[in-house]
This record gives sequence, structure tokens and C-alpha cells, in this order.
Amino acid sequence: MREITYAEAIREAMSQEMRANQDVFILGEDIGIYGGAFGVTNGMIEEFGPERVRNTPISEAAISGCAVGAAMTGMRPILELQFSDFVTIAMDNIVNQAAKMRYMFGGKAKVPVVIRTPGGSGAGFAAQHSQSLEAWMAHIPGLKVVQPSTPYDAKGLLKAAINDDNPVMFYEHKMLYGVKGDVPEETYEIPLGKADIKKEGKDVTIVATAMMVHKSMEAAKLLEEEGISVEVIDPRTLVPLDEETILHSVRKTGRVIVVYEAVKRGGYGAEIASMIGESDVFDYLDAPIMRLGGRAVPMPYNAFLEQKAVPQVEDIIQACKTIMNK
Amino acid sequence: MATKVVMPKLGATMEQGTIVNWFVKVGDRVEYGEPLVEVLTDKVNIEVEAEMDGILLKTCFEADEVVQVHDVIAYIGEEGEVIEDAEGGMLQQASALSKSGAQETAEKFVSKKQPETEPQTKIRRTPAARKLAKENSLSLETVQGTGPKGRIQKADIEEHLRYSLQKTKATPLAQKIAHSNRLDLSQIQGSGINGKIVRDDVLKYANVEKDVSVHAVNKTAFTGMRKVIADRMVQSAYTAPHVTLTSEIDMTNCVNMRKELLPIIEKQNGYRLSFNEIIVKAVAHTLQNHPAINVSLQDDEIIHYSTVNIGFAVAIPNGLVVPVVKNANQKGLAAITEECKTLGSLAREGRLLPDHMKDGTFTISNLGMYAVDAFTPIINQPEAAILGVGRIQEKPMAVNGEIKLRSMMALSLSFDHRIVDGAPAAEFLTDVKDALENPYKLIV
Amino acid sequence: MFKTGKNHLFSQEQLRKMLYEMLLIRRFEEKVEQLFQQGKIHGTMHLCIGQEATAVGACAILTNEDKIISTHRGHGHCIAKGTEVDRMMAELLGKATGYCKGKGGSMHIADLDKGNLGANGIVAGGLPLATGAALTSKMKELGYVVVCFFGDGSTNEGAFHESLNLASIWNLPVIFFCENNQYAMSGSIKEMTNIQHIAERAASYGIPGEIVDGNDLLAVAEVTKKAVERARNGEGATLIEAKTYRWRGHSRSDARKYRTRDEEKEWKTTKDPIALFKNKLVEENMLTEEIFLEIEEQVKKEIEAAVEFAENSPIPGEETLETDIFA
Repeated sequence: MREITYAEAIREAMSQEMRANQDVFILGEDIGIYGGAFGVTNGMIEEFGPERVRNTPISEAAISGCAVGAAMTGMRPILELQFSDFVTIAMDNIVNQAAKMRYMFGGKAKVPVVIRTPGGSGAGFAAQHSQSLEAWMAHIPGLKVVQPSTPYDAKGLLKAAINDDNPVMFYEHKMLYGVKGDVPEETYEIPLGKADIKKEGKDVTIVATAMMVHKSMEAAKLLEEEGISVEVIDPRTLVPLDEETILHSVRKTGRVIVVYEAVKRGGYGAEIASMIGESDVFDYLDAPIMRLGGRAVPMPYNAFLEQKAVPQVEDIIQACKTIMNK
Repeated sequence: MATKVVMPKLGATMEQGTIVNWFVKVGDRVEYGEPLVEVLTDKVNIEVEAEMDGILLKTCFEADEVVQVHDVIAYIGEEGEVIEDAEGGMLQQASALSKSGAQETAEKFVSKKQPETEPQTKIRRTPAARKLAKENSLSLETVQGTGPKGRIQKADIEEHLRYSLQKTKATPLAQKIAHSNRLDLSQIQGSGINGKIVRDDVLKYANVEKDVSVHAVNKTAFTGMRKVIADRMVQSAYTAPHVTLTSEIDMTNCVNMRKELLPIIEKQNGYRLSFNEIIVKAVAHTLQNHPAINVSLQDDEIIHYSTVNIGFAVAIPNGLVVPVVKNANQKGLAAITEECKTLGSLAREGRLLPDHMKDGTFTISNLGMYAVDAFTPIINQPEAAILGVGRIQEKPMAVNGEIKLRSMMALSLSFDHRIVDGAPAAEFLTDVKDALENPYKLIV
Repeated sequence: MFKTGKNHLFSQEQLRKMLYEMLLIRRFEEKVEQLFQQGKIHGTMHLCIGQEATAVGACAILTNEDKIISTHRGHGHCIAKGTEVDRMMAELLGKATGYCKGKGGSMHIADLDKGNLGANGIVAGGLPLATGAALTSKMKELGYVVVCFFGDGSTNEGAFHESLNLASIWNLPVIFFCENNQYAMSGSIKEMTNIQHIAERAASYGIPGEIVDGNDLLAVAEVTKKAVERARNGEGATLIEAKTYRWRGHSRSDARKYRTRDEEKEWKTTKDPIALFKNKLVEENMLTEEIFLEIEEQVKKEIEAAVEFAENSPIPGEETLETDIFA
């Protein structure tokens, strides 16, 4: 199969949907000639023109609300929010408007908007440009939250997000944009709410998201050599969450580690861990549920400190050994 | 505070248990791990052990009473302690108090009487370990935890169960001696192959332990088990419309095969192959190709099993039990022989655990050792069918136009017509016949 | 300073209908206030008594396809855009038959079929949404315009400035309609802003800013008509500032310590938009006292029927609690 990058996969999904449906358009800061801060929309304005690739002023409040207003009146906008940290200045339109509109109006409005935004650390962008704030959005009823880890997943999930009639927060990871993977040229949809077993194993289940999927896979490979068989599950969407796949795996292995880059305290991994603990699978747990998450610090600038702030491959290996009592 | 003792749930399907016998009298001291009460459940008697030290303050049920799982059956606590009754209001020792204000006064009374005790140290164990132990009626006290801080993990329970099952291996002679001397085989160290207990081991143990009194089987259990069997037979016979199909099988090839395999298997594991195991194997093999038979009806749902677990009825002095060979379709004859013999011994010794008898998906009832040709077996609910096995007899049969003596045996298949129809049942029986008449197919 | 309205836009029938609507709004608000005091409405509500002319005057210019976005003080806008008072009243009483099935309440009444994109509980929350609704009209060439109502308090929110700028650069068919009722909750616009007229802010974004007497129905209609025509002709957005007055407090719990009773009295006696309009119609022989009483009677009946409908409606069942979250 053809290999393309995560960024290219996202662009391809957007372009294919825009070709297929005139109602789909993209708006955001510097997404025109510039091609977006991470180059995701490179070349799109040339194909679709400035009407459908709308370069906006730096006005997160206005453009997020504009996307919501357009969505509720019949368009299917994709808003590129340059960094996911900037959700703070678009928050009203996402949390108070998009998420609640349908419910407040007694089921009348549809808000098919996708807000694509890069999160995560590792680029040396420091505290205001490196956060993983997806748990905030997962907390809000009325929002769907997607977090793809591979080019294949990104393309299929973005198509599903664009075609979903609800507001979808689509969290990309800035360090994954350059990662390559097999992606079919034709369009395909990965339903929201379907986890993926990235690797099968029998001793420990790791539930990991975004960049942590890759770190967990690396750890799993090294652990295999030591005789520890790790199953890696990527939920891919946080809301709705595929509880069944996770629980099925934990029932099998009896041990689970939830690995996420966001600050551990109050992160979405806490939700996954609680979900497992509350389920019938509790009786199959053969060790306490573990979480590996980011340290509770604003993301530091220094590369060494930045690495130390979020789980690394060695941390995951160590956690697996601890949970295996080895 | 007194600790409640509840009717334990000793198997996944257990909903109630019958009190057989209290080993401890009210007012007597009981120690952690000491047998407290004998409970009858699902055709098996279990000794429920005390989970704490203390005085048996109160028993809530007498022998032969049927109790729902998790209902309180007794209280253990400190000497002189008082027990609230089920309504939570009145207290035994405070009964002289007037009803009004009894609660408050009693509470004061209790708190004055009751010294602050250290919270009881719990055994550190994972949920998975606890579940597995419970399913096997295993006291966690007896298991060594190898996890962090001595935490008992699932693997510890598995190891313990493996070990205890292994320990029960004994030669028939050793078993007989142990049984007649009321010796617990699980306490005897075997010196034979794979730790098998031989005659000398039992004799040696008997000499050393001569003075150790062994708890005798309580005869009141007879009534309880009889009742359970009766209830289950009535329930099956009157809820499931039984249809019985019979077929005569030419067992000549099986007879020859058994002759050849017997010494091989005996050399391998010390157990002697009998027709019962060949039939178990043939039925399991056939059943995996007949998923429509490998089902059960439970709460308005037909459950289709992915595993083939064959139960076989074993007559015991007080009645009948059905130990189960799990995943029998995936096991070879040697393994099935060993398992059937082991389970049979345990059954006759009355030492089957609930785990040995659960999860059956089909049952075989073999009366071939008697002068029985065919019969109408009653289905072991909630399974869908049962196979009755008659005796093998040489009969003159027409073979390729000639009359020859062949070893013939009748099979009787009773099935539950609510969930299985005649044709699939007949197909199944035909395939069992084919498997037994061409037993070498089982190897393939 | 203010443009005075002349009647060269409407027929006698239309004029009487507008009078009817203003009265319907006022009586609706008075009834709501009464029901609240009786404990039949819970939560809170924000009454627009004294501001009827802005809602009715602006909506009189709009077609059914045109959109409005309203505010927390939005009952008047809804009624003026054709929303039925019975289902509105049911919503205020939290009933299953309400516009939002009892899930939205006073601050979230929406009637998408009539072009009412919803009231909004967030100050300035509607402005960015209005730019989006206008963008849809433009991109799909649907020809409708969007009138976004907001109060003077909204104009100090970032979203106000961002939205005016965005609408301007994208030339969107949107009318930003500021009802300057002098107070943002307790904050007087004179204390909170250092300019004389909010409309002056339009200059910053390169769009026209119009000032109008918000209590003069015909003047409001006239200025709105001009802005709507601009928008329909593809000339982009307009900011209208309609000067008016909020007769009641911000919400039910407001003791109005921040203003004098004399001030209130002056607005009520000399600038009541309904009295002004009625007198004008009588002067111009478009209305008699008898017909006015007839209109009053009709309004009374419609309100009574609405209350009856609402009170006899069932409350939503618990099974609806988790529905309508996702499409």
C-alpha cells in the first residue's frame, strides 16, 4: 500500500470530502497560501480557492463561533485551530454554544462542525503551545472527541468526523504530522467509537492514546524479548469510548496500564481507569490498574525537562514489569 | 462488632444452599480456618470455614434448612457480645429493655461493652485471585501470595489448585486403604511417579498419624443430597419434554482398539483405559460438529457453548454426582482417561469441588457395567441432552452376508424437545455411532 | 439626532399587526412576571418591557427566510419573528410541549423554522454565530440576511469586535443590532464606555454605524430596512444602535439601586414605545380607540390561551433527560 504522512492523510481526507460535498469547507488562521502552521492545508487553497479555504484573522472567538453558526445553518465547516492550547479563547463557542445547542433547543439544531487542532509536546514549544487538553472536551456532553495516532486512522476518522452531524473535536498530535504509514488512496470511514487493537498480547493491556500509542508499541516490542506479552489498544475516540474492546482485553490479561500524555491528574486516562474499575471486569483484575500520565507541570521548554514531563518508552517498560511483579 | 457469616456462593449458578451440620455449638470458640458449618450445594457438600477467631454467638438456621446465597447464617464475635436481629432493632441481651429507646440504650450498651479492636488484617489479594478462589471454594488463608507485599494473584491460586489436584493422585489400593481408614489423601505425600500416592505412603502416614482423629462424614448429608437429586430430576422431567432415541452400535472395533491402547496408556500415566473414556472421547468429538446439541436453555435464552465439556454420572454411596471433563474434544484418550479416573476417585471419596462439576454442556450416563441394554436417561438440566450407555454384548450380526459375532451396545439419547428437534438429535446420534464404529477416525 | 419614523413602508393592516405584536410582547412579559411571582415559573428571566419597538420594528422588515439571533432578554425577538406564544409559555413553565421540550427555558428559545436561530445566554455569544449563519447564506447563495440582536453590554466583549471585523472583511449579510437599553445588568453604558454612541465603533471595522430612537417603531423599521437592503445587495454588514430603556430590572432579583425612580418614570411616561405608536396611528387616522380596545382584547385572549395550554401540558419525562444530546 501507499505510504503517506499523518499530515498528508488529514489533507487527503479533507480534500476528498470537499470534492464530494460542496457544504464542506475549511477556515482557520494561516491556512491559505501559508498552508497552515504545520503545513496540513498545503496546496488546498490552490485547488479549492479562498471561498472554501477561508484564511481568517487571528480571532479565535469569532472564527469558532462563525464555524458553529455556519454548521447550524447547513454547512459542514472544518475549523483548524492552530494550536489546541488556543481552545481557551474559543471555548465559549465550543462549550457553551456548539455542545449545547441541540439539547437547549429541544433537539432542533444540528451542529456538524469539526474542530481540528494539534496538541501534544515534544517540539520545544513550551507551556502555551504543548498541552494535551482533550479531557476538558471529553467532559462536555454534546461533544465527540477523536484522537488519531496513525495516518490510516487519521484519514478514516476525519472522514467520519466530517460526516457526523455533531460537533467533533479532532485532536491531532503535532509530533505525528511527519509520521508515515500505509493509507489507501480511496476514501474510507472509521466509525467514531471503535477502538483498535494495535498489537495483541496476553499478559498486560496498555490503553494508550495519540503519541503514547507509538511509545507503547515500542515498549511492547522490547518487552516481548523479555517474555512479557503486551496488548496495545488505541481507543482512537475518547467520546464515544469503545468500552467493550478495552474491557474484553483486560478480562483476558487481568492487568492494565493506561498511558496518556496529558497531565495525569484529571486526565482522560483517569476516566478509562475508572470505567474498568467499575465494570464487571473488576473481578478479573490481577493487579491494581495503573496510569502513566504527564507530570503536573506547565510544559517546560528545555528538551530534557520536556521529555521528563511525559511518559517515555522506558517508563512504560518499567510499568509493565511492575505490574507483572517482575 | 460481631461479624456476620453468610451463606457463601460456591458456584456461579448457586442460588441457595442447605445447612447440613453445624460443627461448632453456639457459645463455643471457633478459630480462623476451622470448619464451621457443612453446606450442601449442587450435589456437593462443602465445609465452610470460619473467617475469623471468636465465639459463635448465634446460628440463624438449623440443619436441613435452605438458605439463599449471601443471607446471614451465623454471627461470630467476642464473648458476651450482643447480636442485633434481622430487623436491626432488638438485641438478644437487651431484650429486657423497653422497646422505646431500646435502640439508643442498646447502642450505648454495645459501645461500652465493646472494646476498640484492631481492624482485622485482610488478606491482600487481587480481584481475579479472589474470584478464582471463591469458585473453587478455596480459603485464601491456605494460599501463599507471591505478588508485591505478599499479594495473592491469580497465578498463586492456579498453582495451588494444580498442586492440590496433583496431590490427589493415588493408586487404587492406596485409595482403598485411605478410604477405609478415613485418611485424607490430600494430606499424604506421594512417593510414586509424578508424586502419585502408593500403598506404602498411606501406611506410613497412617502410622505417624494414628492418633489424629479424622472428621467422619456426617450422615445427615444423605437427606440433603437425596433432596437435591430429587428436586433436579423432577424439575428436569416435568419441564423438559424428553424424547429418547436409541441406536445399536457395533463396538467390535472399539473393543480391539481398547485392547491395543490400554497397555500404552497405562504405561504412560498409570491409568487403565475403559470404554467410558472412549465414549467420552467419541461424544466430545462428535459434539463439536453439532453445535445445535451443545446448548442449554437458561432464563428464556438458548446459550450456545463454544467449549465441549462432558459430564459423566458417577454413582456414589449417597447418590450420584456428575464430574465434568472440560474441553474434552481437545484432549487425547490418555488425558481423558487420567481425568475421568481422577474425577471418579474424587467423586467416590466425596471430595469433588464445585469447580469439578460446573460448566458441563453434555452428560453421559453409563450403566454398561450392569445388565442393562437400554434406558431412558433424564437430562441433566440445563443441558439439552444426555446419552445413556448400555452394556456391550456379543451378538450374532449379519456382516457382508455372513452371520458373525459382534460386540454390540445400545445408546439411548434423551433430548429436550424445547430446544432440540428430532432430526438434529438423530443426526448427532448417527454420527456418534459412526465415531464408535470407526474409532480410528478419532485420531484424525 | 434621531431619525423620526414616517409611515411610508406599511399598510394600515401591517401597522395594526405591529401594534398587536408590541402589545402581545408586553402582556406576555407581564404575565410571565406574574407567573413567576406565583411560583409557576422557576429559574430566572429577563423582561424586555419598554423595548418592544426594537424587536417588532426590526423583524417587520424581515422575511420568513431571514434569520435572527437573540439574547437572554429575547422573548420580544421571538414573538416579533413569529414564534408562537403558547409553546413559548410552555417552555417557560418547563413543559414537554415547549419549544425546547422544557430543556432550554427562557434563555434558549429557538424556532429554526421561523428563522429564529435561538436566544443565547452568553453575553455577545450570538455575534460569532451570526457571522457563521451569514456565511452560509453567502456561500450557498441563499439570499437571506441575519439580524443579530445584542445589548450594550455585549459591545465590550471581544467577540463583538472580532465578529464585526470578520463580517466586514468577508462582506457578510449580517445586521448587528444593538439594543442600547442603557444598562448592562447594573453597569451603566456611560460608566462602562468612554464614547457617546456605540455606533461609532462601526468605523473601526469599516462598516456603517446607524443610530436610531429605539422606542420609535417606524424609525427602527426604516433604519433596519436600509441595512437589510445593503446586506441583500452584497454590500455587507451594518451596526445599528437603537437607544431604548429597560423598564424592569436586569432579572427578577434586581433592586435597581444603580438608577433613580425619576429616570425610570421619565422613560415610562414620555417614551413608552407602545403609547407613542398608538397615538401616532390615532393621529394619522389609522386607528380608533374602539379598535385599540379590540386589539387589547385579542391580545388578552391569546395570552390566556397560551397560559392555559402551558399549564395543561405535561412535564417532560425522565426518559428525555439524555435524549437530544447528539444528532
